Amino acid sequence: MDAYAVSVLTNIGLLGFLALSAYLVLLAGEMSFGQQAFFGIGAYCGGMLTAMAGWPLPLAALAAMAAGAAAAVAVALPTLRLRGLYFAMATLAAAEMARIGFELLHWQVEVAGEPVGPDGTQGFRGIRWVFEAGLAPEGYAVLVWTALAAVTALLAVAERARLGATLRAVGEDPALAAALGLDVHRFKLGVIAASGGLAALGGVLFAHHNTYIEPRNFDVMLGVHGLAYALIGGLGTVFGALVGVALDVGLLEGVRVFQGYRMIVFGGLVALLLVLRPRGLLDEETVRWIGRRFS
Amino acid sequence: MLELKGVTRHFGGVRAVDGLDLLVPEGCIFGLIGPNGSGKSTTVNLITGLFPLTAGTILFRGERLDDLPTHRRLQKGIARTFQNIRLFGRLTVWQNLWVAQNSPEDRARRSFFARWLGGRRRARDEIAHLLEFSGLAHKADEFAANLSFGEQRRLELARALAARPRLLLLDEPAAGMNSEEIGQLRERILALRARGITILLIEHVMELVMGVTDRIAVLNFGQKIAEGSPAEIQADPVVRKAYLGGGAT
Repeated sequence: MDAYAVSVLTNIGLLGFLALSAYLVLLAGEMSFGQQAFFGIGAYCGGMLTAMAGWPLPLAALAAMAAGAAAAVAVALPTLRLRGLYFAMATLAAAEMARIGFELLHWQVEVAGEPVGPDGTQGFRGIRWVFEAGLAPEGYAVLVWTALAAVTALLAVAERARLGATLRAVGEDPALAAALGLDVHRFKLGVIAASGGLAALGGVLFAHHNTYIEPRNFDVMLGVHGLAYALIGGLGTVFGALVGVALDVGLLEGVRVFQGYRMIVFGGLVALLLVLRPRGLLDEETVRWIGRRFS
Repeated sequence: MLELKGVTRHFGGVRAVDGLDLLVPEGCIFGLIGPNGSGKSTTVNLITGLFPLTAGTILFRGERLDDLPTHRRLQKGIARTFQNIRLFGRLTVWQNLWVAQNSPEDRARRSFFARWLGGRRRARDEIAHLLEFSGLAHKADEFAANLSFGEQRRLELARALAARPRLLLLDEPAAGMNSEEIGQLRERILALRARGITILLIEHVMELVMGVTDRIAVLNFGQKIAEGSPAEIQADPVVRKAYLGGGAT
């Protein structure tokens, strides 16, 4: 496989985590414009742990996921009091604060005679764990896709369990869910923690794929893409979010005709789908229809 | 069973419920009637905790209810139906019942060990039983949004039963029903009482209220204006005046 194809595949995998994290929050009935912050927190945490502290990547990834989940809960505790548009705006504001935080973060240590670490707007270079571990790009693509497959399988199982049904219930009508004895606030906090952890995992893997990250990698457009992937792919199944990523990155980036017009096509696609299929390509009806064909 | 003491709720300057005292004894069917806007639905919403009390206390089986969040109240064994049907339209009929199994017994059953000791199978059996009871077995895999009006009403009642309530709050269950359906509803309500469920019935349809309740309280402008057996209520001049109007004395 040529290097370009491998890179596109890896990118689909990386954005997959972001899309899944947006999908989870959407299922819980909220729209977050701030998932990019947890992606960024994961990237910075993971990068600092491997490049500055010399941790192995798997351990750094776990720590970064914990940090992402904790940050998501910290944002959610005050913002979950808000609903709809106000929640979206508050999460956007929190994410912009995180991005400005990355710009103000200067902390470099000497590693093998070179300063390594985040240097404000100059970015954070030298996240070389993958290179030092002797992992080829193909090998890293396999690693990313294995992690994504494991996460997706876990979510698919949870979705079929009662947890999935209760989550959809909470998302559709929180007041009714509470009136049936479901602890709506705890459910939403749990989902948001999971979504923060997932986004952070994507961020860690992104940082180690690129070896260089900078604050503007994690601006609002990243979060908007994550949301759009989940909405395009559909809210009927966890696989919808991945279909959304594959459609955007795979089709639009793969087919050179769209080069240069990508954002126009992408924006148009989102607008068209929101009108024609408000719950995405793989919405609940479609998923049930597919399920019946194969059972 | 359920006791309301001086329960009050103001919306701005409107006294939706104003110093209401109510005692619903265990095992009875208690009717709550009154003209439109008299505070009946607000009372149900106060009991289930949709909004907080302005003043007063609510006791359920001797325990304070009014300082608990909604979901904790419902876990204590109170279930309700809604005046305007409220279902999870994007969940199937089966799933609508599944997510409503939140009684203490069901929650204990979902603990890690109980799950492998047949807890899951019993939950499924019970849903099957509820589907049978409400005549919806053939619609189990249909989305709730695609059901007919009558089917949705039956699903609401089945969902309330999935919570294994000791107290069931029925908010205008007969709205929009014809006389034959009201007869069936009446049979179902009596069957539930026979299972030991206490029922608070809010209803406009006198045909149902008078035939099925043991005791009735009448609200007007948020206050209780009368309470007694169905026969006493029918004969009460104050009640007649509230219903038929009678500004001219």
